[in-house]
Amino acid sequence: MNSESLSRRAFLGRSSMALGAMALDVLHGRQAGAAPQDRATLPHFAPKAKRVIFLTQSGGPSQLELFDPKPGLVDLAGSALPESVRGGQRVTGMTAGKPQLVLPAASKFRPRGECGMELSDWIPHLAGIADDLCLVRSMTTDEINHAPAMTKFLTGNQLPGRPSLGSWISYGLGSENRDLPDYVALLSKMKRGSDQPLYDHYWGSGFLPSVHQGVKLRAAAEPVLYLQNPKGMTRLLRRKQLDGLAELNRQRQAETNDPETLTRIEQYEMAFRMQASVPDLTDTADEPESTYELYGPDSRRPGTYASNCVLARRMIERGVRFVQLFHPDWDHHSRLTSWCTQRCRDTDQPSAALIKDLKARGLLEDTLVVWGGEFGRSVAGQGNWQSPEVGRDHHPRCFSVLLAGAGIRPGTVFGATDDFSFNVTENPVHVRDLHATILHLLGIEHERFTYRSQGLDMRLTGVEEARVVHEILS
Amino acid sequence: MIIVAHWIPVLGACVLAVAPQVEKRQAPDFNLDVRPILADRCFACHGPDGGSRAADLRLDTRDGALADLGGYAAVAPGDLDASELWARVTSEFDFEQMPPPDSHKASLSPAELDVLKRWIEEGAPWSRHWAFEPPSKSGSSIDELLGRRLAEIDLGFSAPAPAHTLARRLSFDLTGLPPSQDVIAHLGDSPTDDQWSAYVDRLLASPQYGERMAMWWLDGARYADTDGFQQDELRTNWPWRDWVVDAFNSGMPFDEFTVAQIAGDLLPDATEKQILATCFQRNHMHNGEGGRDPEESRVDYVRDRTNTMGTVWLGLTLECAQCHDHKFDPVSQRDYYSLSAFFDSIDESGRAGGGAGPFLKVTSEQAQPHVALAESELAAADVKLQEVESARRLDFRTWLAEQVKAKGAGYSAWSPVFPDRAYGAEGSELALLESHDGFVECTSGGQPQEDYLLEVNVPEPRQITGLRVEVLKHDGPGAGFSFAEDGEFIMSGVKLRVRKPGDHALKDAEFSAIVASVEGQGVDEQNGPASGILGDDPRRGWTTLGKDVAESPTAVLELREALLLAGGETLVIELQHRSTVPFSHPRAVRVSLTGERGKAVRAVGTTPLERLAQLRGGASEWKEGLREDLTALSMEEDIDWRQASAERTQFARQLESAKRASGELAVTVLKERGERRVTSVLERGVWDQKGETVERALLAALGSDAPAPPDEAELSRLELARWLVSPQQPLTARVIVNQVWQQFFGRGLVTTPGDFGLQGARPRYPEVLDWLAVDFVEHDWNLRHLVRTIVTSRVYAQSSRADRALVERDPKNELLARGARFRLPSWMIRDAALHSGGLLVQTIGGPPMFPHQPPGVWEDVFNGRFRYEPTLGQSRLRRTLYAFWRRNAAPTYLFDSADRRTCSVDLKNTNTPLQALTLLNDATYVEAAEALARRATGKYLAAPGRIQYLARIVLSRSLSTSELATCERLHREALAEFEGDSLRADALIACTLLNLDEAITHE
Repeated sequence: MNSESLSRRAFLGRSSMALGAMALDVLHGRQAGAAPQDRATLPHFAPKAKRVIFLTQSGGPSQLELFDPKPGLVDLAGSALPESVRGGQRVTGMTAGKPQLVLPAASKFRPRGECGMELSDWIPHLAGIADDLCLVRSMTTDEINHAPAMTKFLTGNQLPGRPSLGSWISYGLGSENRDLPDYVALLSKMKRGSDQPLYDHYWGSGFLPSVHQGVKLRAAAEPVLYLQNPKGMTRLLRRKQLDGLAELNRQRQAETNDPETLTRIEQYEMAFRMQASVPDLTDTADEPESTYELYGPDSRRPGTYASNCVLARRMIERGVRFVQLFHPDWDHHSRLTSWCTQRCRDTDQPSAALIKDLKARGLLEDTLVVWGGEFGRSVAGQGNWQSPEVGRDHHPRCFSVLLAGAGIRPGTVFGATDDFSFNVTENPVHVRDLHATILHLLGIEHERFTYRSQGLDMRLTGVEEARVVHEILS
Repeated sequence: MIIVAHWIPVLGACVLAVAPQVEKRQAPDFNLDVRPILADRCFACHGPDGGSRAADLRLDTRDGALADLGGYAAVAPGDLDASELWARVTSEFDFEQMPPPDSHKASLSPAELDVLKRWIEEGAPWSRHWAFEPPSKSGSSIDELLGRRLAEIDLGFSAPAPAHTLARRLSFDLTGLPPSQDVIAHLGDSPTDDQWSAYVDRLLASPQYGERMAMWWLDGARYADTDGFQQDELRTNWPWRDWVVDAFNSGMPFDEFTVAQIAGDLLPDATEKQILATCFQRNHMHNGEGGRDPEESRVDYVRDRTNTMGTVWLGLTLECAQCHDHKFDPVSQRDYYSLSAFFDSIDESGRAGGGAGPFLKVTSEQAQPHVALAESELAAADVKLQEVESARRLDFRTWLAEQVKAKGAGYSAWSPVFPDRAYGAEGSELALLESHDGFVECTSGGQPQEDYLLEVNVPEPRQITGLRVEVLKHDGPGAGFSFAEDGEFIMSGVKLRVRKPGDHALKDAEFSAIVASVEGQGVDEQNGPASGILGDDPRRGWTTLGKDVAESPTAVLELREALLLAGGETLVIELQHRSTVPFSHPRAVRVSLTGERGKAVRAVGTTPLERLAQLRGGASEWKEGLREDLTALSMEEDIDWRQASAERTQFARQLESAKRASGELAVTVLKERGERRVTSVLERGVWDQKGETVERALLAALGSDAPAPPDEAELSRLELARWLVSPQQPLTARVIVNQVWQQFFGRGLVTTPGDFGLQGARPRYPEVLDWLAVDFVEHDWNLRHLVRTIVTSRVYAQSSRADRALVERDPKNELLARGARFRLPSWMIRDAALHSGGLLVQTIGGPPMFPHQPPGVWEDVFNGRFRYEPTLGQSRLRRTLYAFWRRNAAPTYLFDSADRRTCSVDLKNTNTPLQALTLLNDATYVEAAEALARRATGKYLAAPGRIQYLARIVLSRSLSTSELATCERLHREALAEFEGDSLRADALIACTLLNLDEAITHE
């Protein structure tokens, strides 16, 4: 929660400086090993980005259908993937032992915008803003299954238990607003009884104090759990009750001298403010009709990806530091032309609209937008490659992400893959490089941004070498 | 990568000026003062990990530190100038400075330099890491030891806490529940030592003691009711949870408790309970993700067991040695896999759910009472439903007469939608077909995929219970229904959305069921049944391919809840055709709506009310079930009946589930396979990168004077288990004592309870920890003895109030010169609130229950695959210990709890606004506050009396005059708001008291 900086101000305002440090410590969660380290030095240098919107596409969107054109594959359709290309790459248990036959893209590509970035006809709206985008075609990861790969994509490690990117940033930079959390997660609501759950460790704070965990906004009458007062409780009476509660707590605190009690009073006040600020955020009745036209028909329905894109912009306007959308079900193992297109339909227009909208409002200058999933998909068809039922299995060796906004060089394509979109041939960008780059844009040097846990100085980018991809920065 | 400067001698190093030491200080203690500096700044490159050691220098052993490096040494005892270490840490040149600037490790502070300087000057004495030396016991009690240490720093124990505070503290610590008012009254203001002792004994003897201790143990055991990961299937390991409760309550010694859980299956003539105990090491998650290699999962499980044992018993971060030698502790990667070998030969495949054996088949004695309860609750629900039904039957004639009157001869249940606006999302043109009543035709030809949108304004108030879709068989050019080559249609989704007048937003109305007049089988086999329309999955759709269809194929969709339109709303109906088969959208469709409930929206054809309307004079049709259908309809129309019926269904479900729980259950347990697996070091920790093979071995660094295996046989898990609790092994007793201490003080004597290694926090009072550890073992690992020793000590009984000076001097209460004050764990807060409201149901053991949780939480996580159904009736009011725990969607009403995915022994204690919202607004707390308020009703006429009564229940004390004044003012304000309803005003006070900092705090 963003209680931290708020409470830092509020608390210091009313207590002696001697108590200040202690109160801060209490706010940071009072956990073993949680001593705030060199956060005073953050940001390490002047940041390009103040805020981040991370549009997480869960399941593994197909780079072959959307971002990485390989026209040569048409002539190779149905032929075996050369062993020299495959190079011992694992496949999942779903295609293990089956022939790996080349499947050309089911979509069509053409150059877009002035920059000439080649994008697919399945994402016409994103293609329409190609000049604002930076497309990285050379992303790579180490994990082939969803949960470990997504966990790595978001926390830097394949095992659950590390803080997510958003939590790190909340921890490092704190909040810019006093009524909303630093880090908010928004999940698309979908009726689909299978596939990858969106685990809450994807926005969890790991070993960081839990005030830094993402707060999940739900598409329900209660956007935040327990936000609504029980039936019959008016806001006015709640106010009076909290006044009484604070008075009683202060009387007790005068005897115990425990600063934790003062923090608790402040947290109840923050809760009260959130009861107003969250509905104010999620109630989009004040949006003009043009908003819905821009973000598309789905934006009229709360809980959709499109509607969450509108909320993301509203949050950025309100100073939320890190907004993360999750759109599930990009796992098209079969039926690319209905399954993958469906996910494009859900996300294409609103993603593009969000970037346009931010730009029009002057917010794109200091907001970084990231669009991507945990891995890519294989050039080999899964199922009968000649049938419309064909799909693609997971592929960790290369995939694509889109970046836009603060500090990003627009209209850029970075990195390249081989003729099969199987191996990166140029400028590989590992997941940890992406993390280092995002931190860099926020003014954080990833090697110096650590937190002590289990006796180790942990960092988002881990122990292996990570580099800031300066080539894509403006 | 950190580039380490070469370790070459530096001549004439510039020495930083170190602040002059004014006071004469004791010689630095190697363990307490020196090693932590070396470990933190040097070991990463000069420590036990041979793989990353730089310059062939190791500083974690004395031999290494003193080794001749070619005419010089890192440390020359007694000779500062000849010690290269000193030159390096004090150098101001980047190229030689240690730690190197690019390592991002902080330079040594003047105080740290001073420690190193004096240590070298005094001959660089060395000793083993404190936790690896066997503990020893000196002094007669922990109070004596602590009293002495406090006196050294001019402090002493604080006064004992007031009797009611201490009684409350003891009650929470030993049972997890607040004390009753009777107990407080009985103890009075100044109980004698005997009275205290008797009180402690009574708490320790209560069955709630075992439940409370189990809550501690279950976190470390990563106990949950589902597998975790993608599938997150159910498991029924709760008989093991009951075994834990029983073990604590029956006073099982901790060594026996340990052996049973690590190797109960290998004990001679192992009993069912001893085998059940081994479930501890099978509580880890199981990964059933499609496409995952089961062997990869199995390797993960073996390591999870190893790591969990390391954390819970040894307090070591063994997991750090999975990929390389431990950076700080003397655990090589080889040691790690040698330890893991004890858990590598379990008869398991790495699969999840039903494939997750070995299982123990058990029946639970604790399950039976729950069947009896569920039976009686279902019987009560039946009675209630029958009462409602009887009432409706009495009214049936009246109801029927109303229907006859309202529905004329021409009554039709379904009315076609004549859209005000109709269009295709991809640009198709739609127009009303003149010759057919309400059919809409696509006049612009086919699209690969197309959605039809029909918008219609509903000016008058109207109830809608269902929607009907008819697809017109096309008889023009091109056979069949659609634009596809074979003429077949595939409909992949139907949506009904409502827009309120003047609103931009659309609200989805959810369908619960669908039925169709005819269902075929698509070329793509996933297409066929109409049920494909209900989910958001374009790969499944409704088609009639393969069936000879004479009439318009018809599908009827039932709404989950009837839609009540006030008039003026716009309905947006969306028919989606997004399958892989191009051009398969129908040429013409008709959508109709109905407000009739029951059979009308569950079947295709004439509805009961239509049949009634057609009856008109001829009574013959009554025989064909019309009366029954109409009776059923009259019930469905009644909201009381719908509720009573839904409750009955839920109680019936609960009875089914209780019966299943009382039958044979499969509990995952340990069992050796016939042939042992060959265990290998896994290179870089990657599951299929096998390095050298290893034999089972205990951790050499901790002394392997373990019980020898019989007859030269290879060590078994049983020897491992016994070694864990062998008195020579220095860690387990300390680690467990520390965990127990942490339960009662909010933080351990070692504040990193999972890390007693070199990077762990050093205890301020190691002699207190050691005294308790030795005493614990001397008393045969008797946990009650340990608990009693702690809670009857002076240090425990201190008041938690502190003057400002002490708070500023010791904000975290590391010195223990006052009592512990910390927020209670959230499970205790829930249990206490239910207890205060008189609602807590204290049945011990049995299957898990589902407390109230806001709707939609599981559905959100799993896209609707799992639905949380809160328990109705008594069981939902049981202790949190028995609440169902889904790993991927932990209980929402808890906070700061262990995540129960992997082992955790750390206590979290944060303070966020979300916690405040939970305690103020969660239905369980609202219910508890209301129940609490009712307890005061009638006891006192005047509000102040009732307020004081509530305070005594919640806080175990009366309010002060000023506190009472605050509450009275609030009560008056509430009375005004609630128009004199004193019960509601009392409930507001109860809610306020339950939210007091004091109420949720261990004081």
